[in-house]
Amino acid sequence: MNGDFNSGFREAARIAIEDVGLIRSVETATGRFRLGREAALAELPEADAMRDHFKQIRAATLSNLKNHLQTFEANARTAGVQVHFALDAEAACAIILDLARKRGATLAAKSKSMTTEEIHLNPALEAGGIRPVETDLGEWIVQLAGEAPAHIIAPAINKTKEQVADLFREESGDEILAEIPALTAQARRRLRETFLQAGIGISGGNMAVAETGSVVLVTNEGNGRMVTSLPPVHVAVLGIEKIVPTWAEAGVWLSLLARSATGQPLSIYTSIITGPKQDADIDGPEEVHVVFLDNGRSKLLGTKYEEVLQCIRCGACLNVCPVYRSAGGHAYRGETGPPSPYSGPIGAVVTPLLFGLADHKQLPQASSLCGACLDVCPVRIDLPRMLVDLRRDSVEAGLDGAGTAVVTRLAARAFGSERMLGLAARLARFGRRFVGGDLPRPAKRSFREIRREKRS
Amino acid sequence: MPPHALLVTCLVDQVLPEIGVATARLLERTGHTAEFPEAQTCCGQPFFNSGYHAEAVRLAKRTIETFEPYETVVLPSGSCAAMIRVEYPHLFHDDPAWRPRAKALAAKTFELSEFLIRFDLLPIPRTGSADNPPPFAFAQGRIRPFAHSPATYHDSCHMCRLLGLRDEPRSILEKTGVAINEMAEPDRCCGFGGTFSLKMPEVSAAMTREKLRQASETGAAILVTADPGCLMQMRRFADEAGVRVEHLAVVLEERTR
Amino acid sequence: MKRPEKPEYGFATVFETLSETIFPAPAALPAPWTSRRRFPDPVARFREALEAAHGEVRVVETLDEALSEVAELLEEIGAEVVVADSEAPLERFSLGAGRQVARVSTHNADPEAWRDLCARADAGVTSAEALLAETGSLVVSSGPGRSRLVSLLPPVHIAVVPAERIETDLFTWLAARSGRWPANTVLVSGPSKTGDIEQTLSVGVHGPKRLVAILYD
Repeated sequence: MNGDFNSGFREAARIAIEDVGLIRSVETATGRFRLGREAALAELPEADAMRDHFKQIRAATLSNLKNHLQTFEANARTAGVQVHFALDAEAACAIILDLARKRGATLAAKSKSMTTEEIHLNPALEAGGIRPVETDLGEWIVQLAGEAPAHIIAPAINKTKEQVADLFREESGDEILAEIPALTAQARRRLRETFLQAGIGISGGNMAVAETGSVVLVTNEGNGRMVTSLPPVHVAVLGIEKIVPTWAEAGVWLSLLARSATGQPLSIYTSIITGPKQDADIDGPEEVHVVFLDNGRSKLLGTKYEEVLQCIRCGACLNVCPVYRSAGGHAYRGETGPPSPYSGPIGAVVTPLLFGLADHKQLPQASSLCGACLDVCPVRIDLPRMLVDLRRDSVEAGLDGAGTAVVTRLAARAFGSERMLGLAARLARFGRRFVGGDLPRPAKRSFREIRREKRS
Repeated sequence: MPPHALLVTCLVDQVLPEIGVATARLLERTGHTAEFPEAQTCCGQPFFNSGYHAEAVRLAKRTIETFEPYETVVLPSGSCAAMIRVEYPHLFHDDPAWRPRAKALAAKTFELSEFLIRFDLLPIPRTGSADNPPPFAFAQGRIRPFAHSPATYHDSCHMCRLLGLRDEPRSILEKTGVAINEMAEPDRCCGFGGTFSLKMPEVSAAMTREKLRQASETGAAILVTADPGCLMQMRRFADEAGVRVEHLAVVLEERTR
Repeated sequence: MKRPEKPEYGFATVFETLSETIFPAPAALPAPWTSRRRFPDPVARFREALEAAHGEVRVVETLDEALSEVAELLEEIGAEVVVADSEAPLERFSLGAGRQVARVSTHNADPEAWRDLCARADAGVTSAEALLAETGSLVVSSGPGRSRLVSLLPPVHIAVVPAERIETDLFTWLAARSGRWPANTVLVSGPSKTGDIEQTLSVGVHGPKRLVAILYD
């Protein structure tokens, strides 16, 4: 059992644990978000009832997903939005590349989107001769560093200001002070040029409102507004599950999203985009496109894993997870390859479901099943239950190490009778050093032996 | 119906028997001596959590059969109590024969501190008897009782999140005169997670070390837990942190001696 | 599932997948959530919430006073170029000699020039169609005489809003609003900020560094 995992999550976690600076940063950030969330929900009247209500909304929406997507498409079209559906990552990238090429865009301004990470959009754009520039400050930092984001909400959680200054110096050739006001000013200056010159703006979307064909996008920095207002074309990429039937439900979603993520009642900018610029508008994009991404989501509908699609990507589960806080976001990865865009408890569940259990078999094991995630999830997604279900799927698929499966089944056999239990314990006491030093050391006399002696 | 049964748990039976002895004595002192049905082995939780569903079901059935004849079942373990109370009904949800039997057992299963409060058994009468040799004869040769106060209390995950038992163990400790200095995060997972500690030992150890660091910051004399799994895990790194870890039942037994 | 050759897969293909899934009878949506907030003094709540997000709030009695506040502010920041939406109550304010207030309506013909102006401006002045007390938010929409860039590009955003436009929260606002949605509506809940570097707050990343809401009766 001990030697089962020598790559993937366990190995990446082992390395991350040694990085004291990284773990300290993760603790500071997650601590702030945790306290913020607690305070925000304590101040929100009937927060628990609202979460229950939200769960009903999400469950009901998914049970009728096709109709809501159809409604969105019709209403969006009326508002002048072009709606596309992409079966997988390749399809999504092809659609977006095509849109950029049609407009002759060579520079793409990107606002933070986990979905575009998921489809590996940036490499596809680059291969197509289009330069993508991330404009969310944390995303820009990790883009310059050539790394994956380390947290759903705080992508550069692991970077010090000195590291950021180095990256910015390299990017611009300018001399920059390693102080946060100077770094922020530099980012404002450099990225302002990107916003003004980009031929296409690509964003994610927090939700799509079927009632009016609108996309809602929240940011604190304002880059979401820039990307969706300045370039002549705006493309929003959303998972098919990020849909809400009407504005009544959207209000609940917005009331819980920022509060669960950082503790803010709302993000600084909540942008509601309903189509391209209207006739009397002086500014705004000429074209607005929404690309809905499937990429494995629809096959979860109607299964015991459908619940995972209720996630609104707030990051609250990351902030409480003792495993995430000990190992950081980059540990959440497959047996080979780069980290998953989705880390923490939600990542441990959604990554194997979307991208394959066999290739990500350690992720469901990367949890002590403490349940803190379920406690804080605004949609009350039962992640611990799904982790156990994934482990069951793993065992049934033979993904547990052969040695582990044999030993576990033998142990179960031994536990099946009190006599065999005693025998197994005696054997274990003897053979412990051969199996692995981590197994518990049986007592010289078991409780039942003591009890029997007392009786006699 | 024979009244009470003691489900010691497989860990206590084979690895930490002193917890079972202490629990039995506490129940005796309150006038609710519990029987120990010898057929008990394991509630099945480690197998369930690891995805060995069939094995877990077999062990659950065995547990249900063993304890069916009793009025109540008491355990010195929050996580095993949670397995029976919360998980057994789910395990047999689609089994019309076993579902009512699982629910019946769940309805009468109690973690120790919960049992003591629920059945209004406090304060626990002190025993003056010299007949009861102290449990430390069975543990690592400790001669003198240890200081109990101030203590810091670790909320084990399933006990606090699935069973909602946070106040019960604390109030019992306080009623026996133990002051509690709270950790920054008393309910932060200790890192055991059953097979998690075997499969992901480095992350598990990092989690345990953080828990013990928080415990030592409280200046408490002991770190108390109501879960043998957590106890075992925390003891592995306790020496290097300079923290002493004890089970709730053992502490209570010593304080009411 | 056969994959079509063209890059654009279209509506039908994804829904082939969806209809292959077994859908149990769709569950009903719960009845809409209604606001649970009752603020005895909504303006006070608005102020508290926006100030917590590092915004500034001034409450005055008349429109004239509000416009004076604007003039004082612009003086204080030494604004030389100011852009403004063309809507009442903003049509009336002006600055002293040597200062330029450029308005949307006079630039409709040349959006490029307008964009440059906004990028150079020291301050942008708008109104708001509503105020949300609970979250300290201003509802700013696109439309005739309004520019998205006025409240976005300059480092200072000043909003002049009649206090009567205050709503309790998102729920009451959404229930009250009607008509076609504009191309863009933003709920502005503070000046631009980030904590992305070392979790340290930094105000004024891409959007305005300073947000001043001036409410008048």
